[in-house]
Amino acid sequence: MNNNAMTCAQARGQFWLLQYGELSFEEEERVETHLDGCAECRAARERSKELHAGFDSLAVEPAASLLRECRANLTARLDLEPLPGLKRRSPRAHGGWWEQFIEALTSGFVLRPAGAVALLALGFVGARLAPSIGPLATAAIDEAGMSRVRDVQAASDGQIHIIVDETRQRTVSGTPGDPQIQTLLLNAARDPNDPGLREESLVLLNKQAQPTEVRDALVYALRHDENAGVRLKAIEGLKGFAKEPEVRGALSEALLGDANPGVRMRAIDLLAADSGGGVDRQIIGTLQELMSRENNAYLRQRSQRILETLNASTEIY
Amino acid sequence: MALEKTGLQVDEAALIRAAQQGDRDAFEQLVRVYDQSVLRLAMNLLRSPEDARDAYQEAFLRVYRNLGNFRFDCSFHTWLYRIVTNLCLDQIRKRKVRKEEAAVLATGEGPLDRMDMVAEQRADTDPERSLFSGQLRRRIKDVLEDLTPRERMVFELRHYQGLRLRRIGEILGTSEEAAKNCLFRATQKMRAALGDFV
Repeated sequence: MNNNAMTCAQARGQFWLLQYGELSFEEEERVETHLDGCAECRAARERSKELHAGFDSLAVEPAASLLRECRANLTARLDLEPLPGLKRRSPRAHGGWWEQFIEALTSGFVLRPAGAVALLALGFVGARLAPSIGPLATAAIDEAGMSRVRDVQAASDGQIHIIVDETRQRTVSGTPGDPQIQTLLLNAARDPNDPGLREESLVLLNKQAQPTEVRDALVYALRHDENAGVRLKAIEGLKGFAKEPEVRGALSEALLGDANPGVRMRAIDLLAADSGGGVDRQIIGTLQELMSRENNAYLRQRSQRILETLNASTEIY
Repeated sequence: MALEKTGLQVDEAALIRAAQQGDRDAFEQLVRVYDQSVLRLAMNLLRSPEDARDAYQEAFLRVYRNLGNFRFDCSFHTWLYRIVTNLCLDQIRKRKVRKEEAAVLATGEGPLDRMDMVAEQRADTDPERSLFSGQLRRRIKDVLEDLTPRERMVFELRHYQGLRLRRIGEILGTSEEAAKNCLFRATQKMRAALGDFV
């Protein structure tokens, strides 16, 4: 009898820590040794994995709108914060030379009269020399693709408003089919700083007729975006491309490798969708592989059912 | 590290130093690196978008006010999470004292879980799947409410935030071993309550 042997209760008590990879080498060895010789505990271990996966599926991802609201509130609150050590936002972010100029003219009591005169003079001269500025500075928009998109919003009239950070912030508006708008949305969909922005951009891209660039952006997001919410939006947008080999490849990768069960569920739904000619039999290999590695009970059931429908084995021989 | 995850080629220490010197833009860049995970943590722990929003704002305001005192004794991530977890622990403890049903709203059509109003990624139109996840969801919610605030926090940080126990110990100001014991207690409670479910 091995004095170091575990009882079933002791072994089962360690399953979660084992799952987290938080047992020491010796502890893990003892659990594994016990599992080797105990079929009941092996079955219990499988159930424990399923329960573990059940917790995964309940993870909450904050809505992009909530994140945006939090950021806006924080920015507003910081503006009111009188802080030693931290100064106000840099002049550039407040709007550039014009704000600096106004601030310089109006910040001191002595300078105010002189500032007022200077402003009057500038207004008089400026009205005659400045070019007329239309609703949209078209020339500058051509450079907007080089800038950072901070936010995207859909208006009720079908227009899309995009806030672009250039030397100053402004709104660029256009229809969903406007190439300019699409370029900005595609840039925003890959912004590494802001998952909320990426998600909103994909939602807007999904609503329009989708050229190849949009499909590529969606596939890229599904494969590479670290945010599960963005990946889910990408799958949603790929519905119209579900028959294309590259898209099916990306969906299969997501089904077999994505850490988020919600993404895997959407991927299997789209891969197994019957588009009129029955379920694509090329999915069989992917599903068989899934059966050999998936812990999530729903995904296993769904996969098994599809394989049965296709008269295919659930195992790889 | 979160900076690596986002793919940003940004030197975090440089951002922190710039923010300490009064660069507000640098501070906002720091916020953007971490704020989604902060909000996710608060949302999962507090189960209320309103409370999560408050925790988010208070946490970053505290960081803003105290950044000048940050001396790089630990990572910025650890320091930030220490602030956030303290705020959330306080809120959870208050709730426990008040025994309030913070996660449930009374509506004309009966009680409604606030989290059901959150635009999360739930993949359910299949009735069977809905039934499965619905039953499990209710049971897990009950179990999580029965954990102590500290157990709840350690479980959240390990399971949903994916942090190692060593880091969790640093954040909570305790040892890795103590964090492990806490996680063990939490998982034992959940195993006892949910063991017959699957």
